[in-house]
Amino acid sequence: MHTRLAVNGDLPVWATILACALALLSLGVLLAYELRRRERGGPMIVVTGLLAVVALLAAVARPVRIAARESVIGAKVIVLADMSRSMALPQNGKSPRADVRDTAVGEVAKKAKEARLHVLGFGDGIPSPLTTKPGEAASRPSNAPRSDLTSALRALGASAEERPQAIVVVSDGRLDDPGEDASKEQLQALGRDLKVPIHTVATTSASPPDASVRRVSAAGAAVAHVQLPLKVEVGCAGGLSCDELTVTARELREDGPPALLATGLSHLKDGKGTVDLAVTLDRAGARILEIAITPPSGDTIPENDRRLLTFNVARERVRVLHVAGRPTSDVRALRQWLKSDASVDVVAFFILRTQSDTPNARQEDLSLIPFPVDELFTEHLPSFDAVVLQDFDAQPYGLERHLPQLARYVKAGGGLIMVGGQNSFVAGGYANTPLAEVLPVTLDGSPGATAADVAAVIPAWTDDGRAAPLLSPLHDIVGEELPTMPGTNVLGDVRPGGLVLWAHPTRTTKSGAPMPILAIGDQGDGRSIALGLDGAWQLEFSQLGARTSGRGYGALWDGLLGWLMRDPRFEPGQLELVSPCVAETQALLRVRLPSTSAAKDMTVEVRRLDKQDVPPIRVEVPRRESSSSSAVEISLPPLEAGGYTARLKLGAGPTTRRDFACESGGDEWADSRPDRDRLRTLASATGGSFHDATDDLSLPLPKPAVVSAERHVVPLAPSWAWSLAAAIFLGVHWFARRRSGLT
Amino acid sequence: MLRRLGLALTFVFAIAALIVALPRPARAFGDVGAFDPRVLLVGGVTGSAHASAPARWSWELVQRTSAPGRLKPTQVRADDPAVVDAPFLWLSGENGLTAFTPQEIAGLRRFFALGGILLVDDAGVNDEGAPSAFGRTAREQIARVLPDTSPIALGQEHVIFKTFYLLRRAEGRVAGPKTLEAIVRGGQVQVVFSSHDLGGALARGATGAWENPVVPGGDVQRERAIRLAVNIAMYTLCSNYKDDQVHAPFLMRRRALPIAP
Repeated sequence: MHTRLAVNGDLPVWATILACALALLSLGVLLAYELRRRERGGPMIVVTGLLAVVALLAAVARPVRIAARESVIGAKVIVLADMSRSMALPQNGKSPRADVRDTAVGEVAKKAKEARLHVLGFGDGIPSPLTTKPGEAASRPSNAPRSDLTSALRALGASAEERPQAIVVVSDGRLDDPGEDASKEQLQALGRDLKVPIHTVATTSASPPDASVRRVSAAGAAVAHVQLPLKVEVGCAGGLSCDELTVTARELREDGPPALLATGLSHLKDGKGTVDLAVTLDRAGARILEIAITPPSGDTIPENDRRLLTFNVARERVRVLHVAGRPTSDVRALRQWLKSDASVDVVAFFILRTQSDTPNARQEDLSLIPFPVDELFTEHLPSFDAVVLQDFDAQPYGLERHLPQLARYVKAGGGLIMVGGQNSFVAGGYANTPLAEVLPVTLDGSPGATAADVAAVIPAWTDDGRAAPLLSPLHDIVGEELPTMPGTNVLGDVRPGGLVLWAHPTRTTKSGAPMPILAIGDQGDGRSIALGLDGAWQLEFSQLGARTSGRGYGALWDGLLGWLMRDPRFEPGQLELVSPCVAETQALLRVRLPSTSAAKDMTVEVRRLDKQDVPPIRVEVPRRESSSSSAVEISLPPLEAGGYTARLKLGAGPTTRRDFACESGGDEWADSRPDRDRLRTLASATGGSFHDATDDLSLPLPKPAVVSAERHVVPLAPSWAWSLAAAIFLGVHWFARRRSGLT
Repeated sequence: MLRRLGLALTFVFAIAALIVALPRPARAFGDVGAFDPRVLLVGGVTGSAHASAPARWSWELVQRTSAPGRLKPTQVRADDPAVVDAPFLWLSGENGLTAFTPQEIAGLRRFFALGGILLVDDAGVNDEGAPSAFGRTAREQIARVLPDTSPIALGQEHVIFKTFYLLRRAEGRVAGPKTLEAIVRGGQVQVVFSSHDLGGALARGATGAWENPVVPGGDVQRERAIRLAVNIAMYTLCSNYKDDQVHAPFLMRRRALPIAP
């Protein structure tokens, strides 16, 4: 308990000061003027005057005695330690920058004993607490994918907790936000919200010898079949000599080695250079591009010599090749549906005349053109997103020789729909061909195999068909009702990974299972559909069609083509990375599931794009109640750097896939140079100070505050006593003056 | 002798085995998806104006093209629910039509709503091509069914004149006007009016003789009339396929060639 004297609490400060000033003035006058009158009792006048002034001052101030229990509280100071992955870069070829950061944080803590230090790590978003004990920060890996100081400061400003009185940033200065080109005003704005100085401590001063791909930027979104310009920025630092660097862009593919898309030469000036590359991606969806340089000798960080980037390739329009063996009502219906959809770009070839037909006209009088089978199925095939073979016989038109190419096209990510008819499947000569291998059903290629069942039939919905998202629009329209079909192609068992959506009500396959009529399946990177009917047009032209305004046909094909193109509406589930995948660390994958999947076994298989022969990593998706959330997060084990495909398998059916890249370096390692100037400018703009980690880290932090926990105020005397004393002394002084003959 | 017989038997057996070993081609799944020139019974019409014409139309289509056709075409009443079972209807006659009943109008509207095509063929047209009472009343009654649109002329630039044969004008039993008339909705031809008696040119009796003389062009004109019929059938089955960009350069070159006899 501390005790001290003070003026009465009801007296304003200005009044106290004024009283003291008047008292001092009076004393000065007494001493300077009255003491010279010794012959007339000057000392007595001075003494009594002195006492009167003091008594008067005491009457005004009415002093009190304060007994208080007080404590000294240090100023709140937040240390923001950079936890981004750039801090894992080696420092002078030895320990990582993170070690220097931890030492610096410990040093700041040691030197700022009077301050209340809170050490937070910043990276991506809201900063999170770290320990203040030296050395313990290293226990948390520097694995944040970004170094976003702006977000961290904004989060502190928006926090309901006590505001800090100073902020200390410990970093290498290679920040994502504020960026390299941030102005002084922008930096000042960072500190303005918090109204505190920001002191900065630079962990790193020298650049390592390093050549790297610093940045890859695309001009606009990636669209399938449309050239995408890429601007690649490369750099050399740390004394490496490189006048030019070769830059390559390759697409990582599941069906073979990476495909070279573009290459260029960058001439470097002042350690920096750019090169423009134009790449064309043919397949929509997530595609992995590798942008790499050929590094010069002496490069100490090989991880940033290549970037693995995931491009979400959109479709401007779905390009469909529609090939029909003869014009029928089914062909008419499909063509009209394809042409009615503005998002579909259809290239159609119908066989209007066979060798046995006699048109009774000169060639010049016919509007027929040769079927460019070689051109279509070699040169132009990759430009299509899907191929529809409708009632088409492979043999007479030379398609047979292109079936291996067509099968490769499907496995490489293309879509294939074979629509039934008298020239399809077995009758079209597809059994025992490479194309049969990419159909979701087997075809009987044995001698005397039956190609068609011409009995009228109403296809039966399977359980998988009722639950399949791609048929749910149709099911919503027609329910269980389907038109009577004039017959079906004879199809074999569904292949592993395939799903039967409609089956024959009575006919079975050799294995005894109901014969598939509509089946879907994954084929490598692509997908295929088998529809063993040529009467689907009756969903439009029939009494059922009239009742449903013909919407059933469009709903069926919307689902079929949409599923083939991996439209999320028709996927059985969805996969996405929660945050960018970093090599050798755990990655989180978010799995979104439909409500119908609750009872199914679900696994996620992860396989490297360039190592298809290696068994995939399998992760079970936890079963959930049907009422629970539709999203589940699962951890993937640490992966090597590379491109990966994650496939979500629901039961035995086709999978939902997501391609993603895991990088060793990533954005944070792309530019390994420290940026001390940015830290210096930030400190200067916000009224803070800049320091090197090797300096004496005694920072100019705010003084601690005194806080009273308990306080007792007791007047030294009652107010009337002070007034009485003042009156008495004034009276004595007056008397003394009168005796001296003064007034 | 026995050896020869044995060799012959072996040869026959080998051929038989080869035939059996070949995959059996699928028989057509009936003819449900084939072109069916269905005769529309409406407004007092009780059948095709030329009874043999619908089957002949299908026969010509099957002989000349890869398209399947119903050799025994059907007929359907406009107020029958089955009117929506296929995308094509053929209305022909010589006499004026009676007013369509509300049920007939409703049936035809359902048919058109699904995208169906109706050919109105004036069998009573005179040699100069002047429409008969059938032609005039058919237009009036169709206007009641589709009151929102009016017929327009279709010239040789329209896809219907190039769906299989390259034609320069419309012709039937009579030369008539060079163009067809049509009601086009949503970019699709839904009603084709012919003042050429197309069925008259197609009709062929059981003896194999043409039933009607074709004026003024005779058999050459009949051939062009058959070609127009084939083109209309192909338009029904392929829609505007020949309007696709991929065909444009070929068709432009061929249009530039001299007229065939």
